Amino acid sequence: MSEQAGGLLGWIDARFPLSKMWRDHFAEYYAPKNFNFWYFFGSLALLVLVIQILSGIFLTMHYKPDAELAFASVEHIMRDVNWGWLIRYMHSTGASFFFIVVYLHMFRGLMYGSFKNPRELIWIFGMLIYVALMAEAFMGYLLPWGNMSYWGAQVIINLFNTIPYIGEAISEWIRGDFVISDATLNRFFSLHVIAMPLALLALVIGHILALHEVGSNNPDGVEIKKTKDANGIPVDGVPFHPYYTVKDIFGAVVFLAIFSVVVFFIPDMYGYFLEHANFDPANTLNTPEHIAPIWYFTPFYTVLRAIPDPFGGFVGMVLAIVVLFFLPWIDRNPIKSIRYRSVLFKINLLVFAITFIILGYLGLNAVTPLYSQLALRFTELYFLFFVVLWTYSRPHGAMFWISSFVILLGAVTLYDVFMNTSEYPELIWKTWIIPAAFLVVTLLLPLFPGLGQEKEEPARVTS
Amino acid sequence: MKVLAVVLVLLSTSAAWAAGTSMYEKGSFGKIGIDLSNRTSLQRGAKYFVNYCLSCHPAKHSRYKRVADDLGISEDLMKNNMIFTEQKFGDLMTVAMKREDAMDWFLGIDPPDLSTHVRAIGPQAVYEFLKTFYIDETRPFGVNNLHLPNTAMPHVLFNLQGSQKAVFHGEADENGREHPVFDRFEMEHPGVLSEEEYEQVVVDTVNFLAYLSEPAQLVRKKIGIGVLFFLAVLGTLSYFLKKNYWMDIH
Repeated sequence: MSEQAGGLLGWIDARFPLSKMWRDHFAEYYAPKNFNFWYFFGSLALLVLVIQILSGIFLTMHYKPDAELAFASVEHIMRDVNWGWLIRYMHSTGASFFFIVVYLHMFRGLMYGSFKNPRELIWIFGMLIYVALMAEAFMGYLLPWGNMSYWGAQVIINLFNTIPYIGEAISEWIRGDFVISDATLNRFFSLHVIAMPLALLALVIGHILALHEVGSNNPDGVEIKKTKDANGIPVDGVPFHPYYTVKDIFGAVVFLAIFSVVVFFIPDMYGYFLEHANFDPANTLNTPEHIAPIWYFTPFYTVLRAIPDPFGGFVGMVLAIVVLFFLPWIDRNPIKSIRYRSVLFKINLLVFAITFIILGYLGLNAVTPLYSQLALRFTELYFLFFVVLWTYSRPHGAMFWISSFVILLGAVTLYDVFMNTSEYPELIWKTWIIPAAFLVVTLLLPLFPGLGQEKEEPARVTS
Repeated sequence: MKVLAVVLVLLSTSAAWAAGTSMYEKGSFGKIGIDLSNRTSLQRGAKYFVNYCLSCHPAKHSRYKRVADDLGISEDLMKNNMIFTEQKFGDLMTVAMKREDAMDWFLGIDPPDLSTHVRAIGPQAVYEFLKTFYIDETRPFGVNNLHLPNTAMPHVLFNLQGSQKAVFHGEADENGREHPVFDRFEMEHPGVLSEEEYEQVVVDTVNFLAYLSEPAQLVRKKIGIGVLFFLAVLGTLSYFLKKNYWMDIH
């Protein structure tokens, strides 16, 4: 492959590493041959990014970032602009699908230990992308200037008010005004269409470069670079192009079909992708009946609401995101893939996934005494997942498991005794069973050998 | 799994708490069936809309021309019979009424824009609203509404429907306080239409408003079917392409 190409390509290659880049990242980038269903979501995330950028460019041609005109300009796009409704629905549906795809992509990482040595930086880049994506989505949500845009942004920005001493100054600085106003809309527009997309693109490039430096993980968690043939090519690897390009094309078409069902048949997804109250223009005097953030933020919103102290809730919410950054140093078990980890690890991860979904569900609904207790319990489970994950990093003796159990259940119980503000004692002890049962399963069952038993990792990929 | 079981038990008990309080059971006046393929219904709805709603409620994101094109109404018919102001065929369907006047006349409420508001509240709400006006002399316009109690809107369709009286009975809540609960309507002064004819007017109007809240509905599902068909073909081809390339990988 080292021979010099002639013609135009040769001319370019003498001045720019075009063929080299093609080889490094496509034709001679060896990816494990055993990728499964879960490995579609990386390329799909890239596809959604492209959809969002392209549809966003066309929306920007017709949208007016002005409090007086914004709402009407969106309706203008929906009615008067040729195919405007399609562009807008692609963009609004794309936002939700971005998070669906990214959540599945992250869960894949959790299952197969893709964040572990030597891929910590890939994970950190990924987390930065996730945080930038949340900022991007939040600012984009204000732009239609509907009533939910307005009040949702009001609630979220006011969270900063809870920071002692400097909180109000920070939220004023974000808004550029004492209330959400034209100034806020204008700057969110600027950040949404240029600042955050630039940051996102840079981070995505970092994510992919870091990935291609160390190579992809796989469902077996085996490093394919350890077994190479005489030419130095990983035996269990296949060139990304054409093998994974053709595979990802198929994945992309299936994805687009599902995406199209939403875009063409249920664009508001029953109020979950486009909230109904947002079809009324922003009204400073009329609060929507029930203000809920859009679904992809609701797990963290529930964490916020689970803690009665406002600043405490804010810190809890931030921690729920920040803790994810430290995953490579929390789960220090050398075995990467879920396939070779213990039954208890699988239970812990499954409970975490269910917890995340329940937290999201609770965040969509109004607070009731029961829901607020459940929010607290599942917030506890959310954080306990990481503690348990850390304890599963290596084998421990009986004393360790029993004392971990006593300390953690004690902490949960002490919180109930001194800080649980629920007026219904029955709800407190009934829901207390949730973290207690979780801790019994995850910290006491390791005492029985077999449940904590891990399997031998293979030297080569298995399928 | 234990955790999940506990959660399911707890969630099931919460359903009982969610029951809201309302003077009547939502949906008890029937469900609106939106049928955008029924062009004559949409045309009749457009007629009722410009005659009864558009003097106060704007549809300021919609253009007369778009409605005419979508519903198969000719330019002349639209200009001569459905545009009552000096507005042009291509204009937005705004109202001449000043916002300050509206606020003054309607108890401080600006009549919401019907090109978007219906999408926010849903067609069923409009359907129930238009069917549940009843006589209430304590209100400024002499009418009240079951769906939207103490509404600022007069019953603009009263000459069609007639004036009906609402009969309530008292029911005690768990704290022993009496609340009025709706029993039935009784027609006091029949209107020019029968009950069935009025029902049709409401259905047509709501049908039109559902169209007006998102005109793209008329085409998007049709296009969607074409797109899905294309993707099915492309998906099949790409599946076999992938299969072919991967044949020699074991």
